[in-house]
Amino acid sequence: MGIGAGLRRRLLVMLLVPLVLLSMLNAWFDYRSADNVALQQDQRLLALVPLLADSVIGEETRLGEGPVLLLAPAVEEFLKERPGSAAFSIMDADGKALRGERWLAGLPPTTYNAEFRSEEMDGVTWRIVRQRVQSVVGEITVVLADGSDPRQQWARSIFLTVLLPNLILVAAGAVAVNWAVRLALRPLLELREAVERRSPDDLNSIDVQASPLEVRPLVESLNRLFDLVNAQAESQRRFVADAAHQLRTPLAGLQAQVEAWAQAVNQPTADTPARTLTLQAEQVNKLRNAARRTSQLANQLLALSRADARAVHAQPMQQVDLKALCETLLETNLDAAAERLMDLGLDAQPAQVQGYEWLLRELLSNLLNNAIKYTQTGGTITLRCGQRDEGAFLEVEDDGPGITRAERPLVLQRFYRVQGAQGEGNGLGLAIADEIARAHHARLTLDSGAQGRGLRVTLCFAAPVAG
Amino acid sequence: MRLLLVEDDVMVASGIKLGLTDAGYAVDWVGSGERAEEVLKTEVFDAAIIDIGLPNMDGLELTRRLRRPEVTNHAMPVLILTARDALHDRVQGLDLGADDYMIKPFELPELLARLRALLRRSQAATSAVLSFGPIELDTANRRACAVRDGERHAIELGPREWTVMEYLLIHAPKPASKDKLLQALTGWDKEITPNAVEVYISRLRGKLEPHGVALRSIRGFGYRLERHGMVEG
Repeated sequence: MGIGAGLRRRLLVMLLVPLVLLSMLNAWFDYRSADNVALQQDQRLLALVPLLADSVIGEETRLGEGPVLLLAPAVEEFLKERPGSAAFSIMDADGKALRGERWLAGLPPTTYNAEFRSEEMDGVTWRIVRQRVQSVVGEITVVLADGSDPRQQWARSIFLTVLLPNLILVAAGAVAVNWAVRLALRPLLELREAVERRSPDDLNSIDVQASPLEVRPLVESLNRLFDLVNAQAESQRRFVADAAHQLRTPLAGLQAQVEAWAQAVNQPTADTPARTLTLQAEQVNKLRNAARRTSQLANQLLALSRADARAVHAQPMQQVDLKALCETLLETNLDAAAERLMDLGLDAQPAQVQGYEWLLRELLSNLLNNAIKYTQTGGTITLRCGQRDEGAFLEVEDDGPGITRAERPLVLQRFYRVQGAQGEGNGLGLAIADEIARAHHARLTLDSGAQGRGLRVTLCFAAPVAG
Repeated sequence: MRLLLVEDDVMVASGIKLGLTDAGYAVDWVGSGERAEEVLKTEVFDAAIIDIGLPNMDGLELTRRLRRPEVTNHAMPVLILTARDALHDRVQGLDLGADDYMIKPFELPELLARLRALLRRSQAATSAVLSFGPIELDTANRRACAVRDGERHAIELGPREWTVMEYLLIHAPKPASKDKLLQALTGWDKEITPNAVEVYISRLRGKLEPHGVALRSIRGFGYRLERHGMVEG
């Protein structure tokens, strides 16, 4: 119950924590009021002290009985209210008990101030006040004791009237939230089951109308995601099919030729007597070219998959020196250009970009290879790089046949080859360059070269963000 | 030149061996790293071509072992062959001591060119004589000459011409950048201008031309030594 548990827990916490805090606050305030209760008790006792003192109205009449006592009504009431929990005592100046409970007697206080103390006896907490006062019979000490323990009574009442209801409230809240969340999440859980019940290959849209109202936005987002994934899977299937198809062509040529030779060699005839074969240079060269083309295609397919944005962005970009890159590629391609009597030159200004060096090398290599392959013998090719206002750039310009305006957007597609193109190619060079450009958030543009002749392919990088 | 080829794939190996033998090298072929180690204990080679994807001990491990200081001939040039061209594979190979790498499948002319460059570099490191085609520069005795029909014909070079020639030979068959040439020349008292470099180049051109060596200008970059009629260095 993954989703449910998380939400439920969160709601419970969010609701109950304030509730509990409020209850605690409530309890604390009430606890403070306990002080009041104790204070009240003390005040009452204090008020009773002079009254008790005034209750002594005369000297001892009968021996051993103590002074004559006429209890004030308030004191009487005090004693009547708490049978067994109230007591008083009157002592003389020496601490001898004259009237009241003997256990309350003791040494008189040293001052004329009232003294409070609490004493526990037989499990009862007594609050005792005593004071030296002047009376009709001279100086006496008056003692009053209250064993009703209002604090404890208060605590008991608090529990019943405050804490218990709060606890019940909190418990009821928890149960209610639990039940409510489960009910509310049911449509989501049903959706989850519906999605899980599908097989992994089933990426068809979920029926929006059949889903409850609350989850419809979610279902719509899911459907959009399914469409995206479907489109990508489809494009990948198409690519693999195209690539395999492309690979077949040169391989077919290779195999056909070698099959023929194998047959001839394995069955000696009058022309080829002793399991040997004589080959013309032209035949062998053709075969070699077919083999090279297949290898090149394999390399390009690998490059294409590596230039895929998702694979690329897993790694961090580095500082790439475009001028050094141009110089390296010049070096490696000088021979190929010289073979065709071409003038391969550089026009490189210092320029740095953030990017992936091996990918940019692949891109430049592709562009340069195209230029060398498709430009006529004795043509001119220039590698250019530098910094413009809009950002750094990388360029390859030639004075070959160029690409017509109409074909320029098409040429960036995979496996597309220019109509009537000479030479053998796989149609992937520019597609790879385009992918790499996109991986660098750069723009690849095709133009005519100088004087409207030839082709100029430019890679424009975005200017780095100032900072 | 004697080469050791360490490759377990029979088809690839026989193709390489045929191609190299045809180009004039003496090639010994072994099919595993262990066998290669054994052979290297007793035999001396000018260079080794090692495939990374060997059974048991892989090519990188073999290279690492070869480079141990106690191994005789541990400075032998090594070219590694690999079907994996991920960046870190290449870096790893070079870090472990390989001098160059080539990705399979490759074209034979490229293998030959890289091999030649490897051997040149190792030669230049050990000998005082730099050469390109018929041209020889004896740096120990400060003498330049062209070899023709077994005879040595001296070439007179001024001091700055010598510096330029030396620089070009060290980098051959790769082109030398004009900027770097300027730097190499600026050790002398006077300031060297780019125009001055061009003058030296054209003088050198005149002296090398009769011996079949061309000094080509690479537009926007620098110069390169080339043999007339043939493109490779």
